[in-house]
Amino acid sequence: MPIVHEGLAKEFEYVTQEDERSMILEQIEAGDALMQQMAYSLITGDHNAVNELTQKALGEGREANDVLDEGLISGMAVVGVKFRDNIIFVPEVLIAARAMKAGMAHIDPILSASGVEPIGTAVFGTVKGDLHDIGKNLCIMMMRGAGFVVHDLGVDTKPDEFIEAADENGADLVMMSALLTTTMPNMGRTIAEFEDMGLRDEYKFMTGGAPVTQEFADDMGADGYGDNAISCVDKAKELIAVIRASG
Amino acid sequence: MPYEETMTSKERVMNALAGLPVDRTPVSNPTNVATVELMDMVDAPFPDSCRDPELNAQLAATGYTELGYDSIQPYFTIIQESSALGCEMQWEQKDNWPTVRMSNPIWKSESDVKIPSNFLEHRDMVSVTGAIEILKKQFGDEVAIIGKSMGPWTLAYHVFGVETFLLMTIDDPAMTIRILDKLKEATYLFANAQIAAGADAVCIPDHATGDLVSGEYYKRFLQDIHTEMADEIAAPLILHICGRTLDRMPYIAQTGMASFHFDSRNDPQEAMDAVDGGIGLVGNINNPETLYSRGPEQVREEVYACLEAGVQMIAPECAIPLQTKLQNLLAIPDAVKDWSAERL
Repeated sequence: MPIVHEGLAKEFEYVTQEDERSMILEQIEAGDALMQQMAYSLITGDHNAVNELTQKALGEGREANDVLDEGLISGMAVVGVKFRDNIIFVPEVLIAARAMKAGMAHIDPILSASGVEPIGTAVFGTVKGDLHDIGKNLCIMMMRGAGFVVHDLGVDTKPDEFIEAADENGADLVMMSALLTTTMPNMGRTIAEFEDMGLRDEYKFMTGGAPVTQEFADDMGADGYGDNAISCVDKAKELIAVIRASG
Repeated sequence: MPYEETMTSKERVMNALAGLPVDRTPVSNPTNVATVELMDMVDAPFPDSCRDPELNAQLAATGYTELGYDSIQPYFTIIQESSALGCEMQWEQKDNWPTVRMSNPIWKSESDVKIPSNFLEHRDMVSVTGAIEILKKQFGDEVAIIGKSMGPWTLAYHVFGVETFLLMTIDDPAMTIRILDKLKEATYLFANAQIAAGADAVCIPDHATGDLVSGEYYKRFLQDIHTEMADEIAAPLILHICGRTLDRMPYIAQTGMASFHFDSRNDPQEAMDAVDGGIGLVGNINNPETLYSRGPEQVREEVYACLEAGVQMIAPECAIPLQTKLQNLLAIPDAVKDWSAERL
């Protein structure tokens, strides 16, 4: 169904890159008016509405995966674009994330019970000495929404905790976040500890966080870098494809 | 031909903060330049040097005695007040910054906001005011001593948790402003105590950073508070905000603060244009890539870019990684002096 929700149509105007427009539009148009209302409510951070609409959608017999993609992920994709383009900032993303969480509370149990094979498995933590987790939490939410199994290691994650968690969970990806310029070097130290243990080639390493750049990620020896939650998911998918292709 | 320095470090910094002429651009450290190497050099490791006035003074002095910067900053972290307010702390070891466990916030609502009556007597406050007294006696005539007092936005992150506080700004903006108004009293108390102890200027870090909130947010929630601070605190103030801040620099320039300590994600020339003479700038040598990972040549390039743009004080962009190499920190004053000599 074409976009009929006036508010959502206005929000969609913020998506200007052609490839993103077609991808997000495809998700939106796969749904109906109820899904559009849900996407709009998520974008504007109305968690009560998202909570009610998700229950209604599932109650009417829609598939949990469809509700996730057409109602929640499509809305979050618009939020991600607006955040990347500095149209909105973290508080606005947080209220959208809170709304997404309200919807996911109904969808998660259904998806977990369905036994769908995940895209890949990641362990994700904020590095040693850093107690910030907003960016990490947003990325984890988006990755889970995209079909990854993500083990959240929390904040202040020491290299040996990354190593242990990656091994225990059979991770494909080791993902590290930092907000402080003073703790960013701990990303490199974590990768170095994997190297020292002879485990560097067992995993792909991703880094991110507000002050982290592609150049810094390269310096630290990471395989991937995401400068926001959307590119984090895209890069994670790319790295999974590389892993799968190499057998 | 080597140029002649005609000012003491202190005169140089204070003149730069006042917008007066200087013999050369001062090198400063409004957030601090503590490193593991410097801790070892004077046997004043973290976290003890954050909690003991004498060790604090020993480590702080190295910014002047070992690095040759024109100012001394005796408050290394951003957590001393939060410790005194009762936050749960993670003091870490020598090679890591002490932090507040923001996942266990101490306050939930406006009614919780209370500054303890013995706030200034807490050991983590005395470690700073006591260190300033020591440094004033040792270096008071030679070098500028810059104190530091956290702004209410940063304190709010610590006492409420970052996520909770940022959600509050949307859910109840009026309450947010009332909370900031209450918290600013902590900023005043500590700033004034440091001035009384001998601080020549005070850095006010208030992390409404470009990575988290918009320039409009700065205007709505903080511009008035910072303007009031510039009026009420009797010393030149240096505001510090990390991240991309070009969008809020025109507002910051109207606060009446003496200087703005800015991040390397802002081009020096664009920053100078954004503030348009309304406030001095101090910065903005990149920490994680240039000072931590690169060499003196790259440091020199960034110093020169700042000087060419007219940045009034040269400094690392923020608190530096503790493993930063001394040669890169030493390259900052070297480059400033070379640039000055070349323009004789």
